[in-house]
Amino acid sequence: MVPLQSQVLLPERIAGLLGLSGTVGQIVGGLLGAFLIANLLLVQTAIAGPWAKRKITAAFTDRIAVNRIGPFGLLTIVTDAVRLLSKELVIPEGVDRPAYDLGPLLVPFSALLGFAVIPMGNGIHLADPETGAVFAFAASSIASLGLVMMGYASNNKYSLLGGLRAIASNIAYEIPLIVTAASVIIFTGTLQMSEIVAQQTEPLLSIAGVTIPQWFAFVNPFAFVLFVIANLAEVGRNPFDVPEAPTEIVAGYQTEYSSVYFVLIYLGEFIHIFLGGALAATLFLGGPAGPFLPGFVWFLIKIWGFYLFTQWARSAIPRLRVDQFLDVGWKGMLVLSFANLVLTAVIVGVIA
Amino acid sequence: MSLEEPTPEDGAVEVLPTTGDEIAELLGDLVVDREEHVNAPGFVIRPDTVQETLRRLRDEAGFDHLSCVTAEEREDRYESIYHLTSFDDRQREASVIVPTTKDDPVSESAEPVFRTADWHEREAYDLIGIDYDDHPDLRRILLPDTWQGHPLSQNYDQDRPQIVTLKEWENPLADDHREEEGDTMYVNIGPHHPATHGVLHVKTVLDGEQVADVDPDIGYLHRCEEQMCQTKTYRHQIMPYPDRWDYASSGLLNEWAYARAAEDLNDIEVPEYAQIIRTMGAEFCRIASHMLAVGTFALDVYGDFTAIFMYAMRDREKVQSVLEELTGQRMMFNYFRLGGVVWDLPEPREDFFEMIRDYLDELPQAVEEYHDLITSNEILQARTIDTGVLPPEVAKSYGATGPVARGSGIDYDLRRDDPYGYYDELEWDVITEDGCDNFSRLLVRLREVEESAKIIEQCLDLLEDWPEDERNIQANVPRTLRPDDDTEIYRAVEAAKGELGIYIRADGTEKPGRFKIRSPCFSNLQTLPEMSTGEYIPDMVASLGSLDIVLGEVDR
Repeated sequence: MVPLQSQVLLPERIAGLLGLSGTVGQIVGGLLGAFLIANLLLVQTAIAGPWAKRKITAAFTDRIAVNRIGPFGLLTIVTDAVRLLSKELVIPEGVDRPAYDLGPLLVPFSALLGFAVIPMGNGIHLADPETGAVFAFAASSIASLGLVMMGYASNNKYSLLGGLRAIASNIAYEIPLIVTAASVIIFTGTLQMSEIVAQQTEPLLSIAGVTIPQWFAFVNPFAFVLFVIANLAEVGRNPFDVPEAPTEIVAGYQTEYSSVYFVLIYLGEFIHIFLGGALAATLFLGGPAGPFLPGFVWFLIKIWGFYLFTQWARSAIPRLRVDQFLDVGWKGMLVLSFANLVLTAVIVGVIA
Repeated sequence: MSLEEPTPEDGAVEVLPTTGDEIAELLGDLVVDREEHVNAPGFVIRPDTVQETLRRLRDEAGFDHLSCVTAEEREDRYESIYHLTSFDDRQREASVIVPTTKDDPVSESAEPVFRTADWHEREAYDLIGIDYDDHPDLRRILLPDTWQGHPLSQNYDQDRPQIVTLKEWENPLADDHREEEGDTMYVNIGPHHPATHGVLHVKTVLDGEQVADVDPDIGYLHRCEEQMCQTKTYRHQIMPYPDRWDYASSGLLNEWAYARAAEDLNDIEVPEYAQIIRTMGAEFCRIASHMLAVGTFALDVYGDFTAIFMYAMRDREKVQSVLEELTGQRMMFNYFRLGGVVWDLPEPREDFFEMIRDYLDELPQAVEEYHDLITSNEILQARTIDTGVLPPEVAKSYGATGPVARGSGIDYDLRRDDPYGYYDELEWDVITEDGCDNFSRLLVRLREVEESAKIIEQCLDLLEDWPEDERNIQANVPRTLRPDDDTEIYRAVEAAKGELGIYIRADGTEKPGRFKIRSPCFSNLQTLPEMSTGEYIPDMVASLGSLDIVLGEVDR
């Protein structure tokens, strides 16, 4: 059996291929590896944003959607990119300049940073520090800073409201998210991503010759559900799209952004959804593990599965009101996630 | 909130004064002169006794519904007419006429008695120039604040510049009202905002996420519809305009409002066969309009162009296809004529009937789908139940009608209470819900769609069996209509949004002397501050959606 998790990380392998070693090898390999993974994600986003999102929503609402340019309308991605980038960048009067410009940069880059520690199968893994899980959550949380910068610097009341709501939602749902993730860490006893994935390849039980692996979604489905719901709030999709809420506060923190900045924010949102999917996959669904297909393909299937789920929720579930939204976060999710954590700790303590 | 509101004189089962003489006796010295309108007795009173008169009529004669206020400048006087009726018995009507002098047009405001008078009197002030004493907030309503003069007054000069710049108009010495340490934030919601359903501007003061104050600012779509109708002849030229009031597929209902008023003014009898076609067409319009209302309301609550909106649009398209077969148009029908309709059902009739039957067969399933998707959804219920509460007394005081009133438990529907068309021959029910909240208004609309389908089905049965040689689609109406000078009429129909009334004063020519539209959306929108003050922004947006306003009708 081919080991799913090659112990050689991507930068080292690139350095090896180029025949470099030492510090130079690390730097060049690291940069090239990061470049590759970032582009890989941008390609996913390009497919997800202008094309897949429209197709999926159209399927939910009995429509056809983009089908004019290219096969299945796929070249819409190109035309949309040109369209969005060639629009005028309108910068309103009275915006707080450095913050206004930095906000849209922070959002996609924080999400990209999170991918540094995600094992994607077939040896595509940029870094594997011992604190991998913590790093991923910490990096994705930087986005909150970007949101509050955008909301506050835009000099627009809807932006301000959206920024405040974004912060409130990130705080309210990040705690349950991380606490739920911590219940997985209790099982594994390590924060290292490669180790978390490796432990999930162990068999859980065998039924009629089919071995079910020890994915934590099977071990603790309750935690998985909590994690997915909290994740939905993290990425701001229905029923938790309160920070954007188009019919209430126009577009929230991104009201005053156009052209390139708009694209950056959009990219950030989609990469965040993929990061959410990647974290769920790594912590609960065995990372890149899966039968028959190569690990990397399974990884893509899993993050696209999560993406599909967010779009489904968006098309089907009404938005909560802002106070109900926070109620669910603080009074529901937080309590349940701590209950889950304590329960897991007790069970693991008793068994171990 | 229950329906069992005790009427003012619950104990004494005395008959309320209804005829002109009885009401005149009740009002006593307040009446200085009597007039006779086609629809109701008219009582001329002095401008300083408006509140006393209206209060007495409301409390002692049961006239609890101020349907409309019509103002006009005549040769020798200004005149405000208060069209009163009763929620319990729509056929009891009375007009209170308040003349004021030319040089000092000041009249007492009716706002302390009927809160709906607030906006109606502001409109009268804006367009005609009558001052209402004791009015809490007499500002312009349809025209911008910087407008010069009153465009429906007789000495109005259109060639003068009509608007001055805000800078010229503003008082340079006025205080800046912004507080240094205020806790509230002022937000302009609209005129361009995803949730305002058109060009509505809601001046909102927020306290955090909660709405501290709301002031709808209307008039962005004011197209002088009333004045345009005054420049056209009764017989054919006015009929296309009603389609443009509530343009969100209630065209035939609007046309009926004009047709009813003009037919009663000119004593035109409509053939039974045409009445059935009218009834059927009107109910199709109601379904289309309610579908749009449900879809956009879901849009406001769900937040994106989701499945429900698309499904509602799909079902509305089907209705529009039927209407296109019938009238030749999908939105601007222009199908009614005084005395009937313009042409008979399309040939071959069997195909048309089959098309409608197919639609009616599918409808229950479609409505069930909405209940699955919307009304039985827990999150939607959490969002809409007990939000945007409008108690029945408040709704009555604001003159709310249609699904808004029926969602507050007010059993009031002109189709039954003041029958016209073929409605009183058919079996159907008036839908009411007692929740008084956004959810009730949604439910009322969905259930009314089912009632409309019932009506259509019965009309269809009648039309199918109608003998071929008795298909009379139009009465014999003279080519030129010249109602007698000074005949006045106020007639209303149940449009999709509520009571759509038309006041016409004939001046002896073939064109109306005064044409006034009582728009249901105009009165319903007035309840928005009442419903949403103190609630969250999303609830305000949901309440606005549940009112189902069309700005074309609000602004006219």
